[in-house]
Amino acid sequence: MDLKDIKSLIKFVTETDITEFELENPDEKIRIKRGSFHDQTNNQLFQPLMQYNTPTRTEVPALPTESPSLPATLAHDEGFTITSPIVGTLYRSPAPDAPPYVEVGQIVEKGHVLCIIEAMKLMNEIEAEFRCRILRISKENAQPVEFGETLFVVEKM
Amino acid sequence: MKDFAEQTAAAAAQSFNQKIIELLRKDSGGIISGEELGRALNISRTAVWKHIKALKGVGYQIEALPSRGYRLLFTPDLLIPSEIAAGLATTRIARKIIYFKETDSTNLAAFRLAEQGIEEGTVIIADEQKQGRGRMGRHWESPQGTNIYCSIIIRPPISPVKAPQLTFLSAVAVARAIEATTPLHPAIKWPNDLLIGSKKVAGLLNEINAETEKIHFIVLGIGVNINMRREQFPDDLRHPASSLLLEGNSPVNRVEFARALFTAFDTLYDDYLTKGYDMIREEWLSRSMVSGRKVSVAFEGKVAVGVATGIDEYGALLVQQKNGETARVLAGDVSLVD
Repeated sequence: MDLKDIKSLIKFVTETDITEFELENPDEKIRIKRGSFHDQTNNQLFQPLMQYNTPTRTEVPALPTESPSLPATLAHDEGFTITSPIVGTLYRSPAPDAPPYVEVGQIVEKGHVLCIIEAMKLMNEIEAEFRCRILRISKENAQPVEFGETLFVVEKM
Repeated sequence: MKDFAEQTAAAAAQSFNQKIIELLRKDSGGIISGEELGRALNISRTAVWKHIKALKGVGYQIEALPSRGYRLLFTPDLLIPSEIAAGLATTRIARKIIYFKETDSTNLAAFRLAEQGIEEGTVIIADEQKQGRGRMGRHWESPQGTNIYCSIIIRPPISPVKAPQLTFLSAVAVARAIEATTPLHPAIKWPNDLLIGSKKVAGLLNEINAETEKIHFIVLGIGVNINMRREQFPDDLRHPASSLLLEGNSPVNRVEFARALFTAFDTLYDDYLTKGYDMIREEWLSRSMVSGRKVSVAFEGKVAVGVATGIDEYGALLVQQKNGETARVLAGDVSLVD
């Protein structure tokens, strides 16, 4: 099976509700497991946080400004989801060679920039509306996002 | 960085200077006594003298004729509000202008002031930017005394989903201003670069502050290379760049350009609010250099090559690819292939 076939297979699996897929023949064995670590431990609440990779658990000072309030709605029992207010392309850092605004596990203050969404050279900085810990980052850098799509899942601190 | 109170105080002083210049200019070449100026502004003759001194300090030549008064001899090409405001007949835009001799970036300054609630239409303009920037954290060369660096704050009563439409309005306004002040005919590269021939002369960067249903404000940043000389351009530019001076072989008065820009923007913004986006879109398309051309677009970590067929209702670039698929580009770098 070449890379193209594997890609199609992944795409196929992603479009279903299947979370785990295994294929074995004499030559090769393919196993596709879907969803982030957090997804699979959805019911264990915040306990899996202990196992997150938390490279930058630093406190970031809040900006001395009124930040825009962003749509934050209660999602299941795992935290708040932060959704996109516009259609656009998401950037996780201010410049291609700059470190990301946030990483999973990081605790950020109200007003801290989480990402930028760009549409037609209009930049929208998405800020934390309250002090929170980043539980999940739902989008990769430079990927398109739809209106209302989940960008982050956070735990209110 | 100056705080809001200081900025407000500076704006008040600018407003006195502005009125003095207006009075001196009223009767071209005429003489107005210090007493008369003081009476008109309700300040002392000493205060008038202080303002005259400040004006001289920024480049005005004002003759003081003993026991007769003051006479304006020369007006420098300064972007100070009094100069831009003289003869500016806009309804919404640039009714308030805040000038910085230098600032980090006019977009940053505008964003801070907008968060404090400054009124719609306010323009932030600077003679020099220390951290002029473009998209993806790129640098925008912003030397002192030669170009236009400004940001317009608007608070349109529209849904945030439609906000990218303002990107196109802003680009059309700059194109109109270039045509009003030079014999040049710029083309627009999607979404809002202004080019003369194949060289970029203006770059625009916009920022929005909004919640799901409501726009708090939009900052429209505009940088135009006006009188920049060849040696002032850095060597490592991504795309070839130029200035109105270099392309038209003639210097352009920055104050006149600023007035033309704010006038064009004001008219277009009024059209947009009363008649909608269609007119803006039509004009953008007629000025666009990419429509119908073969382009290469770097976006979302990949490259699409094909024919640019136009823009959709939000302004996304539509690129018809060889495989028959149409790529819808929301953010990216476009280059012409042929």
